[in-house]
Amino acid sequence: MRAIAKRLTRYESAENKLSEPNAPGRFIVCEKLSHPLIALSGINGFRSLLSRALALAAGEVHWLRAVQIKLDGSLECPTDMADLNQQEITNGEVALAAELLGLLATFIGEPLTLSLVREVWPPAPIEDPDFNKKDSTKQTT
Amino acid sequence: MRKQKKAPVRKEPLSKAAKVPIRKLPTGVRGLDDIAGGGIPEFSFNIIAGTPGCGKTTLAHQFVFANATPRKPALYFTVLGEPALKMLRYQQQYSFFDESKLGKAIRFINLADVVLEKDLNAVLEEITRQVTELNPGIVVVDSFRTVVRKAYSGASEVEMQSFIQRLSQFLTGWQATTFLVGEYVEEEIRDNPLFTFVDGIFWLSQVAERNSVVRKLQIMKLRGQASVPGLHTIRISDAGLQAFSRTLGLITTKTKPARRRRLSLGIPDLDKMLGGGILEGDSLLVAGPSGTGKSALATQFIAEGLRHGEPAIMAIFEERPQGYTERANTFGLNLKTPQQIGKLEILYLRPLDLSVDETMQEILDAIKRVGAKRLVIDSLVGFEMALAPGFRADFRESLYRMIGALTGAGITILSTVEVEDSFTELQFSHYAISFLTDDIIRLRYVEIDGQLRKVLVVVKMRGGNHSKDIREYVITGKGMVVIHPRRTDYYGLITGVPQRTGPRKAQENEAAPEPKATK
Repeated sequence: MRAIAKRLTRYESAENKLSEPNAPGRFIVCEKLSHPLIALSGINGFRSLLSRALALAAGEVHWLRAVQIKLDGSLECPTDMADLNQQEITNGEVALAAELLGLLATFIGEPLTLSLVREVWPPAPIEDPDFNKKDSTKQTT
Repeated sequence: MRKQKKAPVRKEPLSKAAKVPIRKLPTGVRGLDDIAGGGIPEFSFNIIAGTPGCGKTTLAHQFVFANATPRKPALYFTVLGEPALKMLRYQQQYSFFDESKLGKAIRFINLADVVLEKDLNAVLEEITRQVTELNPGIVVVDSFRTVVRKAYSGASEVEMQSFIQRLSQFLTGWQATTFLVGEYVEEEIRDNPLFTFVDGIFWLSQVAERNSVVRKLQIMKLRGQASVPGLHTIRISDAGLQAFSRTLGLITTKTKPARRRRLSLGIPDLDKMLGGGILEGDSLLVAGPSGTGKSALATQFIAEGLRHGEPAIMAIFEERPQGYTERANTFGLNLKTPQQIGKLEILYLRPLDLSVDETMQEILDAIKRVGAKRLVIDSLVGFEMALAPGFRADFRESLYRMIGALTGAGITILSTVEVEDSFTELQFSHYAISFLTDDIIRLRYVEIDGQLRKVLVVVKMRGGNHSKDIREYVITGKGMVVIHPRRTDYYGLITGVPQRTGPRKAQENEAAPEPKATK
């Protein structure tokens, strides 16, 4: 799921640069995914899924350990995030989005996960030949 | 110019003119449309009720997937029951699940938060908002029971009734066909106002009897159309739910043609005894103890039909298909090729929890596939054993319906039944089913001259006269062969221990009549 998470994160940061320059740590991919997922499984269901994804991603990107999930399902970033560089922030966002998508794929399968992603990002280029391949290159921070 | 007379205006009776056509939506469940009287009435407000594990959610999903389109989508509200993610995970295992419909044609909305945190008005408001926004053709609330249960804790019965009525009015007004899914017990039907409001009640249940579990469906109510009453068997397989109407086959029963051909059994002397063969569309029962050649006779009957271009079905419950084919080979009858070219199907049915309706559906499907004219059921005892214990009590009635439906469709049936030889009477079957067969051939063992030999007699033939002779037969390399004319030197043959009427002819080393016995 990393490839697609990367693509979506890249897509979102490009979009944000146009409207709202440099807004790191907003986890926009996860935030956008939250809307259909809350509709599908409720806030509590979404929070459970997100907390699992966060726990998995924090094993890879350590600064994510400080991220909190709020009651409404949004994410609260640590105050010391200013110390992180843009690449580190992006790595964290990608890792979390990848784990969330990975969990979805585990539960409902890749085709349904893909169609959900397409629903949220109709214009995003998510067709990726590597999408179905297992993630082999996990980055660490 | 002649003035044309005005044709008198014929007034249509008011009731006829006012009749509103109700479109019926396919249920997506094989067999259920027939039970429902053609499908689900459009814009109806229904409930799917039953205990856990009966297939309520699967039934709702099948309906949704069969009908939802991007133009008329389905809104599936989930409430505190099975979370939508899990629902999607499990439901996609069924073949009816079409992932391309999700999102545009089918939308899942979680109502749990509203139900948990707010009141009935908020629930109705949220449903109203979603329905107004999406304009769905189908709405499902699963589980509605949890909405009600939660609401009851804070609302009065009047508020509850008002909520259900407003919901029903709103959804019908918005031209949605609605299904409320819930876990209910039958006792609630009397007291729960919900059951009064709804247009249709689909009741699912599962009954355990000994080690077998059977799922049933009953349409307790369906306004505006005649559904088939009673309990119908349902089965959940990879294709989802399948329903088997308890009147399966009866509705489509054709009447037998006035002039019917006589069909050969493939045993010339036996055909002669039957007056030229059995009548097309008859039900023939071959009764006899183990080893008397019932299956051999059945095989010859099928092979003879195949020789005359009549496709066939063999529903076997005891032997395996391979054994059947191999035995046919030893008689010089080839059953393999007809199977390969789709002229013969050997159905091996012994899952031990079948219903007669399911078996009939299997047989009817196979008959349709190959265009069968002849059918063998070997044997009725095995058939009964393959049924779930709960169905065995009704075996006779079910068999009556099944045979009636199949022969009505012009199929000629040969059923075998094993009976123990009694030495005081000539029994035809344990089930007293002879009333549902047109013809009966009885096979039995007799002791003659120190040998255990076999005799047969045509006991009954509804379509005409038949030989009353008791004839000896043997099983040879060609199958069953009737030998000797009737014996006049014995009486009491049907008792199995006949008495010689005259002096015994001297004979030296008399060869056994069956060649196999000489080996």
